[in-house]
Amino acid sequence: MQGFDVNKQGFDVNKIVQVSPTAHAQSAEITQWQIVNDMKIAVGFEGADIEKYRKKVLGVTDVSCLARYGVKGPQAAQWLADHEIAIPANSNSWTMCDQKTLVMRLGSSEFLLEDQWGGGACKQLAADSSRQANVYKVARADAAFILSGSAVLNLLSELCAIDLSEQSLSSKEVVMTQVAGISATVLRQTIAGEPVYRLWCDGTYGAYMWQVLLDIAVELGGGAVGLAQYQN
Amino acid sequence: MTLRIAKQTGEWLNRDKKIHFEFEGQALTAFKGDTITSALWAAGLTVLGRSFKYHRARGILSLANHDVNILVTDGIDTNMRADVVEVTEGMKLSAVNTSGSVKKDKNSYIDSISPLLPVGFYYKAFHTPRRLFPFWENIIRKAAGLGIVNFNYPRILKRKQHTHCDVLVIGAGPSGLTAAYLAAQAGLTVTIVDENKQAGGSLGYDRAGDAASVAQLQDLLNKVTSQDNITLLTASYAAGYYPDHLIPIVSAQGISKVRARAVIVASGAFEQPPVFRYNDLPAVMLGSAAQRLIYRYGVKPFNHGLVLTANDYGYRVALDLLQAGTKVVAVVDMRKAGDAAYTAKLIEHGVKIYTGHCVYEALASSDKSSVKGAVICAYDDKNNLALTSNKFTLACDGIAMSAGWTGASALLYQAGTGMQFNYQIEQFIPSRLPDGMFAAGKVNGVFNLEQRLQDGVRAANAAIGYLGLKAVQTEAITHTGSSPSHPYPMVPHEKGKNFVDFDEDIQIKDFVNAAKEGFDNIELMKRFTTVGMGPSQGKHSNMNAIRILAKIRNLPVEKIGTTTSRPFFHPTPIGHLAGRGFHAHRLTSLHDWHHTHGAVFTDIGAWKRAAYYPAPGQAKQDAIQAEAMAVRHSAGIIDSSSFGKIELHGPDAAEFLERFFTGVYKTQKVGACRYLMLLDESGVVVDDGIASRLAEDLFYLSIGTSNAAAVYREMQRYQQMWQLNLGLVNVTGAFGAIGIAGPAARIILATLTDLDLSDEAFPISCVREAKVAGVAARVIRLSFVSDKTYELHVPMSQVPHVWHALMTVGEKHGLRPFGSDTQRLLRLEMGHAMPGVDTDGLTNPFEIAADWAIKMNKAYFIGQRSLAILAKRPLRKQLVPFVLAQNFAGEMPMDCNLVIEGQDIIGRVTSISYSQFIGRCIGFAYVTPDKTALGSTFSIRTDNGSLVTATVVATPFLNNQKDA
Repeated sequence: MQGFDVNKQGFDVNKIVQVSPTAHAQSAEITQWQIVNDMKIAVGFEGADIEKYRKKVLGVTDVSCLARYGVKGPQAAQWLADHEIAIPANSNSWTMCDQKTLVMRLGSSEFLLEDQWGGGACKQLAADSSRQANVYKVARADAAFILSGSAVLNLLSELCAIDLSEQSLSSKEVVMTQVAGISATVLRQTIAGEPVYRLWCDGTYGAYMWQVLLDIAVELGGGAVGLAQYQN
Repeated sequence: MTLRIAKQTGEWLNRDKKIHFEFEGQALTAFKGDTITSALWAAGLTVLGRSFKYHRARGILSLANHDVNILVTDGIDTNMRADVVEVTEGMKLSAVNTSGSVKKDKNSYIDSISPLLPVGFYYKAFHTPRRLFPFWENIIRKAAGLGIVNFNYPRILKRKQHTHCDVLVIGAGPSGLTAAYLAAQAGLTVTIVDENKQAGGSLGYDRAGDAASVAQLQDLLNKVTSQDNITLLTASYAAGYYPDHLIPIVSAQGISKVRARAVIVASGAFEQPPVFRYNDLPAVMLGSAAQRLIYRYGVKPFNHGLVLTANDYGYRVALDLLQAGTKVVAVVDMRKAGDAAYTAKLIEHGVKIYTGHCVYEALASSDKSSVKGAVICAYDDKNNLALTSNKFTLACDGIAMSAGWTGASALLYQAGTGMQFNYQIEQFIPSRLPDGMFAAGKVNGVFNLEQRLQDGVRAANAAIGYLGLKAVQTEAITHTGSSPSHPYPMVPHEKGKNFVDFDEDIQIKDFVNAAKEGFDNIELMKRFTTVGMGPSQGKHSNMNAIRILAKIRNLPVEKIGTTTSRPFFHPTPIGHLAGRGFHAHRLTSLHDWHHTHGAVFTDIGAWKRAAYYPAPGQAKQDAIQAEAMAVRHSAGIIDSSSFGKIELHGPDAAEFLERFFTGVYKTQKVGACRYLMLLDESGVVVDDGIASRLAEDLFYLSIGTSNAAAVYREMQRYQQMWQLNLGLVNVTGAFGAIGIAGPAARIILATLTDLDLSDEAFPISCVREAKVAGVAARVIRLSFVSDKTYELHVPMSQVPHVWHALMTVGEKHGLRPFGSDTQRLLRLEMGHAMPGVDTDGLTNPFEIAADWAIKMNKAYFIGQRSLAILAKRPLRKQLVPFVLAQNFAGEMPMDCNLVIEGQDIIGRVTSISYSQFIGRCIGFAYVTPDKTALGSTFSIRTDNGSLVTATVVATPFLNNQKDA
């Protein structure tokens, strides 16, 4: 049938490969792709030196491939504790648990976890398919970003109405707010000694968010940074 | 002739840098830092623009960003305010609103017929006879407006940013700078904003001939710049006040939305012109304008100047003129007496002072380009009379005017400040400030410099205390001495041309006429006379207008009140307001596939959905019909990932659904699906969808694309009220959905799953959880577009895998994709009405024959009470399925075409389409209840006016393949 031929050669029904939700917006760029955590993701855009420079000025990196797990419900905190996951004591704060997993407490009874490089709590929790009263699994399909560099607040000031500066957003605080007109979660984190901002939004907005972030980053002298800059 | 004088201490010029430019074809030079106006004035040019209505010659008025008669264009930009826009190398400028040239404007004849054009004449003159209106409209449109819009103006991005501070100080004059410094010393982050290019306010130019204030200003600026926690923004204006201290700051680069914990308004005051005949001539300017010209730009306002004053400020202006080398012909004071010290000082300089006198009229030079003298006469202050019996003329080439002030209070008004008229200073000042708002300086009614500094300290301490820090709270400062403003600086003249509003050429007599016509309320008078409606928004006219109306009505000023102040305080370019365009949109994980395969996209809610997939050269309708035929004859596949998807977890999930929707869910079996209909409290249909019960305590809801976010928000709101034991999870973005429909759907799907798809094991309206192509899926059997439809709900990132698998195995069965436009045709063929398409904001379920979906015997559901009332009333309209005649070949009716009976509209078409499969045009329409019986006919009026007969049939339309 004209126009709807299927690429049989490249398709293996037994091999499930996901694609980063931001990929649509990156396809126009010179992108090096890699499969990380079963997701095709951009690991590089330019030479390492250029990307290192961008990181210092204003880098935007897609880290949607990191595993995430969401859970909510009156017993969610206890359930996580039963799985030996350290949780933040207060709402709207985060901690890094022993499993190298970022644990964000989005409300009194809602949590979002994200495995960092080498982290494993999300995979461990995902393997538990049991259902427990008052514990509700929240399916996640986030687009996730690292924003780095000296001009990052300049970028965020254009996209978000609340004060995300160090003076206002404490180091262990999580904010759920609007970024570029859509719901997003933001926190400050230090990765390999570098202070960065983390940003999550619904994956279906991923391409839009990438484009907005990148447009402004380029105007401010930065640009796209591949995942490879953080993998090591 | 040049009026450039020697370098002034603190001037804003760089005299080492010469600028070359042209104005109206004349080559001129300026210094770096000159505004267009200062450069022109220095070159001896006085006619810099023309007034809007009468095209009268105009020069400098304020030199403070309000000289709206001097708007220029450089050929690219227009309506540039020459009094503040810096002249740059190579500019080729000309005045706007002129015909020919600014000096010899062909439209200046309008001034001579001005008696025929009083305010409001066009309200009365042109509406009859109606046939002539297009003629007048053409003339008025040509005459109206300032400047010519350049449609090729480049798109220059103006960024909009959000910033934050503890204290925002509006105005970098002495009060503002003092307040900012003190607040910063208390450890607060402070932002100061000032519309001028440099900070300092009147401290920089109001010198009374003495440069001592320059050092005082420098000291203040040094203190401010020494504080790291102060951000000083110049050439930026605070454009409005919004709740919670949100204030947009506009600069050439864009808009910064500042959220402050406290705001100190130290915005100063606008000098107000006295009103006398020909007070608008070039070289008649405000005293503060003359001072700015001297000290900011090193330009002498006149050679032989006269000062008309009604306060002590005019004496200070006279001393500044003397310092600049102007011979001050006289100071004419409308009051009985002036300040003794200033008087002595001026007399010492040989300046003649006429107290109790006024300028009866200014005398124009022969070419009306300047002033040649002023007629002076005694003035009866009490009775507002010009005593002309002994009038005399003084020769001069310019007049500086100082009659009083009005506070720059716009933001205070917008913030809800209570304002009171203070007769001691003849000014509206704050009497009750909102929380976190503070006022200091002239806007607060404090004029003496030392007192303004103290007022800045007081306001800062008040703000510091408000923010929870320790601070000494001091008493409010009260103005001492004579009033800075005259109560009625209006000199009557029988021949008029005594202008109140320079933007719109409004004279005193216009207000009198407006009042006679009954427009004697300030808001009505504003609209009738258009006072304050020009580009300067009444900054130099509103106060005088209030005073005139008070006099006409013989009421105190405070009884007249003020007009409403609204953001933006100053005209702001559209490009600034637009900023960067954010168009948030959602893409499904199959977006690239759709794109690659030629999909035409449509916006549904925030989503980009594939509407149909035309082959090269194929028309839209042909593509849709081909896709629909595939579904009817073989199989079609659609990306339905944009559907709203919500999970309800918990023991009270069914209870919640029963309260929220119209149906019954407690008895719903696990593995079964039920229809959802959502109403609002008034019984109007809002949305519909499907509830799939996955477990006793878990429902999975799929609802329409466009309303999904709103429905989820409403569910959260009701849950907050009901506090049931459940959890709501919005998984719209986490799950994607694929619909596969048609006779071959089952066989295609069966190759990728172990699930028993037989009708017995998996009938319509059931849900199963199974793996499809190795992916965990929620499989729902529906009949929305076909009796054989399966919806596969899988994690969004795995949708492409399942889609590819289906396409691969479906190829031999003729599987092809179809889009959302085709889906609409398919559901129409099935006879399903869609909320939002076949309903509107008033439709109740009875009108769409959805009684079956309403379980009135439940204890409660949203809209139930309204439905109980509606059920007792006869229906006024009802949705019916219809077909057009077989082989219909006339003008095709469209959605929203009206159903007509005789001369009456009895309904409208909501959906209509030709169906190739059925071979007829089918649709839904609202009609009156008497037209709903099967076989009834009604007429649809098409866009070309023809009437088309439609016949009511039963659904599904698929049964109408034969004759209806």
